[in-house]
Amino acid sequence: MKKKSKLSSIYLVIVFLILYAPIFYLMFYSFNSGGTMYQFEGFTLDWYRELFDDTRLLIIVLNTVIIALLSAVISTILGVAGALAIYYARRRRVKNTLLSLNNVLIVSPDVIIGASFLILFTIIGIKLGFVSVLLAHIAFSVPIVVIMVLPKIEEMSTSMIYAALDLGASRWDVLTKVILPYITPGIFAGFFMALTYSLDDFAVTFFVTGNGFTTLSVEIYSLARRGVSLNINALSTLLFVFTMILVVGYYFVTKRNNRSNGLGVKL
Amino acid sequence: MKQLTRALIAVLIVSFILIITVNKLNAAQGYSGGNTLTIFNWGDYIDQDLIKRFEKETGIKVIYETFDSNEAMLTKIEQGGTSYDIAIPSEYAIDKMIKEDLLIPIDHSKVPNLKYIDPRFMDLSFDPNNDYSVPYFWGTVGIAYNKAMIGDIEITSWDDLWDPKFKNQILIVDGAREVMGMSLNSLGYSLNDTDEKHLIEAKEKLDLLTPNIKAIVGDEIRMLLENGEAGIGLVWSGVAQEIMWENEDVEYVVPEEGSNLWFDNMVIPKTSKNPEAAHQFINFMLDPEIAAQNTEYVGYSTPNKGALKYMDEEVISDDRFYPDEELTAKLEVYENLGKRMLAYYNDLFLEFKMHPK
Repeated sequence: MKKKSKLSSIYLVIVFLILYAPIFYLMFYSFNSGGTMYQFEGFTLDWYRELFDDTRLLIIVLNTVIIALLSAVISTILGVAGALAIYYARRRRVKNTLLSLNNVLIVSPDVIIGASFLILFTIIGIKLGFVSVLLAHIAFSVPIVVIMVLPKIEEMSTSMIYAALDLGASRWDVLTKVILPYITPGIFAGFFMALTYSLDDFAVTFFVTGNGFTTLSVEIYSLARRGVSLNINALSTLLFVFTMILVVGYYFVTKRNNRSNGLGVKL
Repeated sequence: MKQLTRALIAVLIVSFILIITVNKLNAAQGYSGGNTLTIFNWGDYIDQDLIKRFEKETGIKVIYETFDSNEAMLTKIEQGGTSYDIAIPSEYAIDKMIKEDLLIPIDHSKVPNLKYIDPRFMDLSFDPNNDYSVPYFWGTVGIAYNKAMIGDIEITSWDDLWDPKFKNQILIVDGAREVMGMSLNSLGYSLNDTDEKHLIEAKEKLDLLTPNIKAIVGDEIRMLLENGEAGIGLVWSGVAQEIMWENEDVEYVVPEEGSNLWFDNMVIPKTSKNPEAAHQFINFMLDPEIAAQNTEYVGYSTPNKGALKYMDEEVISDDRFYPDEELTAKLEVYENLGKRMLAYYNDLFLEFKMHPK
């Protein structure tokens, strides 16, 4: 038994090394005073300075984050509603159809979704820009939220709802005081999935950006043709540190909540 | 529920703060005014200081966006929904855009600085009389080679690549026109040859090159050559220049048989909302001093004759990037061969790629 656990931890270390090596490689070179990624000449913070001087790039980064947050929130709300609707669909066939349609959207290629949105938006006259990107991101995030939330709802015992109704709860009370608290972990998972999908989506976003509005993935892609400058490394480092802080923060928040709630019902 | 509401409010507050920050930054940039100019350019293909200078001098606010390929740019402009005032496509894309009626003619009276453009680069087949486009940068296709790796050998012609001593040493770009063109040129035919017999001959000659070829690659060719992964590469002059900045052992040569001459030109798409400002911008970029500064930043060859006197003597006397009249006479611009012929080029190129080593 002991030997086995040693082997598995070695395996784990190797996997994490492989996963994190490129990121640390990239971070390491963001401090390189030489201009390239294959010769470390000396330590410098110039790339960070250059990054903060580049207002255009900063605006793009902020736009990317805004789109990610807003689209994640809106698609979470829509997705939870959708998941509930699918769960409560009476006939089995309707339920399966809805679920399959949802899954089709998840597996359909991004390029197709992006091109369809471009055509749709130009036909109905929505100007490409903030709104078009936001709508597209919401559209591809909703199905993801649905499949993150649905298992949580199905896991919930129906007797809990009947008990609440028997005790005189209104439908609204059942939703807000029983169902939503129970599926909260699923909702958060859906939200974070939507957030990451939105942050790094290139294929869909590429088609729907325009009129001066662009996101980081599209910008970096067009830079790549002439070789990405090291201030992109600096930017990636900052984003990585930022997400690390978020994850650690989230960990502590949930830990505290679990402790205070103890065995009681989470409200 | 409390947890959810709290999270929702937190996210909304953060987004709100971010939106305000972006608006502040935009306002600081002056993007909010009515008189704007939207530019659609290749990534990292202009000195950003020049945009600031243009904004200061004219009071027009510039919105700057980038693309990574002619095809990507074409899709965006063809579909509409955007309002680009300036785009900078390559010659074959310009030809296509003219044919599809996507461009506004350039009013030459509003672009007096056009006189600084070298007449060699005006009036070319893709846009006779320069009705629709004004040269921005130009360059050639040629051979980049690493002297430290292949020994002290001077490469001067396409035929040198077929030398057996370069076994498994050559990288070529994944472009049907570029690679077929190389073979056609080495046989003494035109780059725009449409004689099927000549094309098959060119493809057969390419097959003989396969033992020497290490890989057929995309944009990463620049990095591979910089790092010395291969000794020889078929590249565009702009790429070669960047490789040479990073790796001093690398040399670039335009083969004596002739080669391709490429252009990226400024055009005004039909979607433009502010053609007046677009003309102003084109004229601004053609100013010799400004063109010189931009050239120094981007590093490609400028078509602006007036700019040359503001530039480093060493740069402009470099006949690898500013070839003399004699060599330019041998260079050809790609012509639009039509869909059928282009498909034939692509087929032959694909067959060559599948040819066993």
